[in-house]
Amino acid sequence: MTQERTADRPRVDAYEKVLGRALYAADQPIAGLLHAMTVPATIAKGRIEAIDATAAQNVRGVVRIFTHEDFSQIKTTPAARGAYGQPGKGHQPMTSPVVRHRGEPVALVVADTLEAAIEGAEAVKVRYAPEPFSARMEDELASPEAQPDRQLSSGDAEAAFAAADHRIDVEYLHPQQHHNPIELISTTAAFEDGELRIYEGTQAASAFAGGLAGMMGLEPTRLRGVSPYTGGGFGQKNGIQEQSVLVASAAALLRRPVKLVMPRGQLFHTASYRPRSRHRVRLGADGQGRLLAGLYETVQQNSRYDGFACDHGANPPRMYGYHTWQGNDRIVRVDTQTPGHQRAPHEHPASYATECAMDELAEAVGMDPVELRLANDAQSDPITGKPYSSRHLAGCLRRGAEMFDWSRRIADPGALVADNGDLIGLGVACGSYKGSMTATVTTLRLFASGRCEIATSGHEMGQGIRSVIAAELIEILGVDPAKLDIHIGDTGHAPQHITAGSWGTGSVAPAARSAAMKLREELSVLTGAPLSEEPVHVQLARTRRPSLEVTVNTIPLGKDAQIIEQLRRGIPSTTGPEYPDFMAFSWIAHFAEVHVERSTARVRVKRVVSVADCGRVMNRRTAESQVRGGVVWGIGAALREAGETDPRFGGVLNNDLAEYVVPVNADIGAIDVDFIDQPDFKLNMSGVKGLGEVAMVGAAAAVVNAVYNATGRRIRHLPIRIEDLL
Amino acid sequence: MRSLSYVQAKTVREAIEAYAAAGEGARYIAGGTTLYDLMKLGVERPAHLVDIASLEGADRIDTSGDVLFFGAGALMADVAENDVVRRDYPVLAESLSKAASQQLRNMATVGGNLLQRTRCPYFRNGAIGAYPCNKRAPGSGCAAIGGLDRGQAVLGISNACTAVSPGDWPVALTAMDATVEIQGPAGPRSVPIAEFYRLPGDTPHLEFEIEAGEIVTGISVPKTEAGRNSTYLKVRDRESYAFALASAAVALAMDGDHIRQANIALGGVATRPWRAREAEALLNLRTIEPDIALAAGRAAFADARPGEHNAFKIELGARTLADAIMTAGRKMQ
Ligand SMILES: Cc1cc2nc3c(=O)[nH]c(=O)nc-3n(C[C@H](O)[C@H](O)[C@H](O)COP(=O)(O)OP(=O)(O)OC[C@H]3O[C@@H](n4cnc5c(N)ncnc54)[C@H](O)[C@@H]3O)c2cc1C
Ligand code: SF4
Repeated sequence: MTQERTADRPRVDAYEKVLGRALYAADQPIAGLLHAMTVPATIAKGRIEAIDATAAQNVRGVVRIFTHEDFSQIKTTPAARGAYGQPGKGHQPMTSPVVRHRGEPVALVVADTLEAAIEGAEAVKVRYAPEPFSARMEDELASPEAQPDRQLSSGDAEAAFAAADHRIDVEYLHPQQHHNPIELISTTAAFEDGELRIYEGTQAASAFAGGLAGMMGLEPTRLRGVSPYTGGGFGQKNGIQEQSVLVASAAALLRRPVKLVMPRGQLFHTASYRPRSRHRVRLGADGQGRLLAGLYETVQQNSRYDGFACDHGANPPRMYGYHTWQGNDRIVRVDTQTPGHQRAPHEHPASYATECAMDELAEAVGMDPVELRLANDAQSDPITGKPYSSRHLAGCLRRGAEMFDWSRRIADPGALVADNGDLIGLGVACGSYKGSMTATVTTLRLFASGRCEIATSGHEMGQGIRSVIAAELIEILGVDPAKLDIHIGDTGHAPQHITAGSWGTGSVAPAARSAAMKLREELSVLTGAPLSEEPVHVQLARTRRPSLEVTVNTIPLGKDAQIIEQLRRGIPSTTGPEYPDFMAFSWIAHFAEVHVERSTARVRVKRVVSVADCGRVMNRRTAESQVRGGVVWGIGAALREAGETDPRFGGVLNNDLAEYVVPVNADIGAIDVDFIDQPDFKLNMSGVKGLGEVAMVGAAAAVVNAVYNATGRRIRHLPIRIEDLL
Repeated sequence: MRSLSYVQAKTVREAIEAYAAAGEGARYIAGGTTLYDLMKLGVERPAHLVDIASLEGADRIDTSGDVLFFGAGALMADVAENDVVRRDYPVLAESLSKAASQQLRNMATVGGNLLQRTRCPYFRNGAIGAYPCNKRAPGSGCAAIGGLDRGQAVLGISNACTAVSPGDWPVALTAMDATVEIQGPAGPRSVPIAEFYRLPGDTPHLEFEIEAGEIVTGISVPKTEAGRNSTYLKVRDRESYAFALASAAVALAMDGDHIRQANIALGGVATRPWRAREAEALLNLRTIEPDIALAAGRAAFADARPGEHNAFKIELGARTLADAIMTAGRKMQ
């Protein structure tokens, strides 16, 4: 069985994607579609005094120009961008003359053609009354929150730190980063069959549709959210966008379908991103390298108005057997757009800081960094005292070290030299990500013809969730993948959870599996006998029934049936990492080899080895891709990416893919991936834990630690660029 | 809606006439990889496009005479892959193959390449626009000075503009003493490449020595033995598909193991393709040694004026040049 599941199976939708047949939200063929373009604010803070749309009105093809005066009845609810579910938070542009960040939409031009909409938008003249602002947490008008956002502690960490034989006290700075999925964020709103349909590449069709209805004062049943495919989400598409309600309202007011594809230059301002953060890490250890104390204080740069949490402290205490721990996470507010979730939102920056600090500690203690981590392995959580549902981190480290040939490493920086004179550095770092699950409602229908249809919660963002669903149905029912229809991401078929936080597979695999098992049961009731080896549809045909349908609600561990109601109402509700009897995490170890050119200080990542413990591997091919993708993100974070803000203007200056530097193929060397592949049946019946996010956690730190091993330079900010090493 | 006329010219004469007839707002377009980009950014707003991509014979590459001749319409990819250029003038081939991406090189012409414009982010930022920029709006000021200037020039800057001249090919051509062949309403003329690019001074919006309506018809490069011992080294923020932080074009004419004449130009660090005469002089009659190469690198930056975040370009530029000198020197062994 395990053989079957971890098979290197092609994605079920690979073919249609390669042929360009997969229709994304912006590709929907809708008759009479109008095109919209936004006018972005050119100030960071202030008020709109006047909008002169005369010239724009005269552009041929322009149908209507909307301003805040048209949209003042839109409600800023807890579903609005930046609110993160909290009443009183969030900011919906164009509902008042107030401008709260550079680049926010101040007018929406709707036209017959895209060209007319763009030209119209450029012709709109806006007069502002600008106000003083600060766009960086170091600047004068930045406002630190009085209370920490989160805190965790166990024991007297200050005292244990003071008494430790070896102490590390360092600060790491993580820059702002932008997701930049290739699919731009688009919104298409159209009245079809008596309902307002919103097509948008999103990870959260239900919350999205329910939230939009609330903002527009519509009955939730009158609005349907459709996210056929999502061309990369990574957290940027997990809620309502600044543009969503504007386009939906424009369509409602005009009674015509309207589409807006937000240009990338504006997305750097309107869409979410990973905020800048500072991390002070103090580690204390005894002479044998046992971790006596961990103290971890972080500060994150938020907007003035958002409800985005600062949660860096959640994972680091779970990495090792700290005897004492003290952590707090604080927020500083500035005049920018709201940040948000970006792949391993806090786990990645936290692992960067703490895993680099571990490298510094290994050096101080005089221990090999792999040995230091193994010496502090733990099977229960230092904070709650609960055991982990499964933890094979030591296995990841050991297998990775072997694959990577870690024994080559020499602790002295610069001791390994390549034939061409480049300095060789080897680094290691680990990561974890919480094991979460969410409720699902799944309807499975088998036809006597052999066709099989499943409707469930989940969004296909390229991670291969359709393939996971298919794998379970193939295994339990033996259905033909070619005759399988999978409906996900559409509130018209099933309520949709937010597909994020690596709980997609862990929720949908058990859902598909239990629906398939229930269908077998009901079929055997119908046939009056246990099922035979024959194909299930043949057995169904014999009962003279054209089809058989089952519906299953899957309720994650520790929750009750109420969660299904919440799901139907689009209220996000997930579990984990804490469950009644255990804590659940996925784990990973990364090993990186860098070569640094002595003269120009160029860093090249020649090889990365990553070994993950994500429970059972559902599909080896998509799982390996997830990890490779995560490692590429880690390399990008370590050496390339940063959103840059000129404090005099606010906003993001390098707001396109030419200036926001992500890795290209030539930057990526070998990435070898392996898995522990041990099912975690405590967590769910499929034995799966998440993978999409843990894949990148620790990857950047491994690269940074390798750079130190090559050069002897501790660079405590990202990205590490040429000027840091020259 | 903004309308745009478009004509395709067959000959240089036809193109020049079409341009003159179109009047204000006319632009030539070759591969379009710069022009369309600038149109999207709102930097260019042409009303008439005269397409010169398919002028008869404009893509001619002739390496048979005393000079190398590259028709302005020759594709970057074709020149980069030309056998003679690759063998005898690696500096030229490498400056092209290290630029942009294969897709762009398949579209872009070596003539259009000369006229590409700076990557200064304040200049290019059309999306949420409205940064002071003397190149975009003369007299509006310069946001890069005192701003995020990591990518800005350290050589040839003025108080009005510090924008880097972005191209790689023009740097190699500058090292190789190329000549730009131009045809205009008043007839043909030749401009040495050293005079083709202006320093920003008080008028950073005037970048090239070419009049409206004139066409670049080709580029000639004198043949030289030094071509064989040449290289183009480009250091950037990633391994491919990025503009230079620092680059160096080096060609060495040798007398035994002594340098008779070094030809050196720098990119990524200056407001125009930068001929490094001080470095050339320092190498004269010297052998190729790492410390001499580094001294030449340092000499090239003696007059550098860094801003807040780009001082590293001085050291990086010097080392890049030193590495390029060593590489060019090794080619003859
Ligand atoms: C994403 C990207 C990355 C790039 N990276 C690099 C890089 O790393 N290094 C590098 O050097 N370059 C790079 N480039 C620039 C590229 O090399 C130039 O865009 C290209 O060479 C321009 O040639 P073209 O034929 O497309 O010019 P066009 O866009 O057609 O024209 C450019 C300009 O020149 C004028 N023009 C064109 N031909 C003539 C002529 N014969 N006579 C008179 N005027 C003319 C046009 O009116 C226009 O103003 C990059 C470009 C892009 C878009
Ligand atoms: S450096 Fe030049 S191009 Fe850049 S903002 Fe200043 S004037 Fe404009």
